Amino acid sequence: MNCESARNLEDAFLDDELDASARAQFEEHLAECGACAEEHGRLGELRTGIRNGALYYRAPAQLRDRISAHLRQVEPGGGAWRRVAIAAAILLAVSLAWNAAQLRSRETQLADSVLASHIRSLMGTHLMDVASTDQHTVKPWFNGKLDFSPDVKDFAADGFPLIGGRLDYLNGRAAAALVYRRRQHIINLFTWPEAANPAGADVSRNGYQAIHWSQGGMEYWAVSDVSAGDLRQFEDLYRR
Amino acid sequence: MSPVRPSPKIQLFEQIMLPHLDAAYNLARWLTRNPQDAQDVVQESYLRALRFFDSFLGGDGRAWLLAIVRNTCRTLHQRERGALEVPFDETVHHAGEAVNAEAGLERDAAYAGLRNCLQALPVEYREVLVMREMEEMAYKEISYAAGLPVGTVMSRLSRARRRLLDCVAGRKKGAAQ
Repeated sequence: MNCESARNLEDAFLDDELDASARAQFEEHLAECGACAEEHGRLGELRTGIRNGALYYRAPAQLRDRISAHLRQVEPGGGAWRRVAIAAAILLAVSLAWNAAQLRSRETQLADSVLASHIRSLMGTHLMDVASTDQHTVKPWFNGKLDFSPDVKDFAADGFPLIGGRLDYLNGRAAAALVYRRRQHIINLFTWPEAANPAGADVSRNGYQAIHWSQGGMEYWAVSDVSAGDLRQFEDLYRR
Repeated sequence: MSPVRPSPKIQLFEQIMLPHLDAAYNLARWLTRNPQDAQDVVQESYLRALRFFDSFLGGDGRAWLLAIVRNTCRTLHQRERGALEVPFDETVHHAGEAVNAEAGLERDAAYAGLRNCLQALPVEYREVLVMREMEEMAYKEISYAAGLPVGTVMSRLSRARRRLLDCVAGRKKGAAQ
């Protein structure tokens, strides 16, 4: 081995990364070459100097505790994560309850406005825009006044004669109100095209009943002060 | 905060990784050349290590952890570009940090010289030297931790040592004059 190849292997020798045969050759060269032996000695001193503990920075004592505490906080299933999960669960429950309340209130709001509209129609002179017992008169009357054509039926033979129709405004849109009579009572049947998420719950308030159903892409609210049984019968007739 | 019992995963993680805290800190300390940055780097590294712990395939966790420390240092380095890029200024590094405060008493002035020379090395040389001489890692481990081919590890070590020898010799000469 000459000095040049020895220089190339010097570090690997120092670091004990040479295989046995290369190591033996290097040691052989070192024994007979003063310059290379000197260089090797200087590298050895350098190593001793660096490995002296004075150059090694040990972690400050509090760092271990800080890291340990931190790990427990971020660890899934522990510490902060657990609290986050609990908080998320509470938030979800609250939001579900809130949504349910919103839905609930939307339903009752609609029922309220349907009831109010019914009562209003009985108070003044505006029960009907078109007064006719003929469904073939009432139905065309809505043409051009609404963006849908309500299904106008007459149940005179069953004791629920059609007496007319009216435009109304419900659920944020124009609606058709069909007016029927049951003995001396008035039944308003409100209808408009079904919304994306139709909401409706039957209500009974102050002697008035409002029942809701969906059919053929339309929403229906039947409102009256007739008995609940009569109103159900009306619904059955209409849905038939 | 109520004390939370650590999960088996975190117990295992701490069992494997916390023994290398000194190694992590020493490397971070030498790479950042600043005790506060080093602590931040180590803490961030442990958090990252926990996140990637599933990809740890066992064995000696030190090289695995040091690879993360090194990458975290580089992230910090990129974030504060220039902060670590400042060329070594002997007067600054002489006067700057209280060397003795952290490492304990340092009686031998030669080590102070060596410390300053090591700090002055480019980070590419510093990292391999710290891993090799202070952690006594094999080329293969350094290659893994530093993301370098083994040949590059060897050549960098070789150049790092020559520069270090020159630096120390220069300082001795300067002191003698």
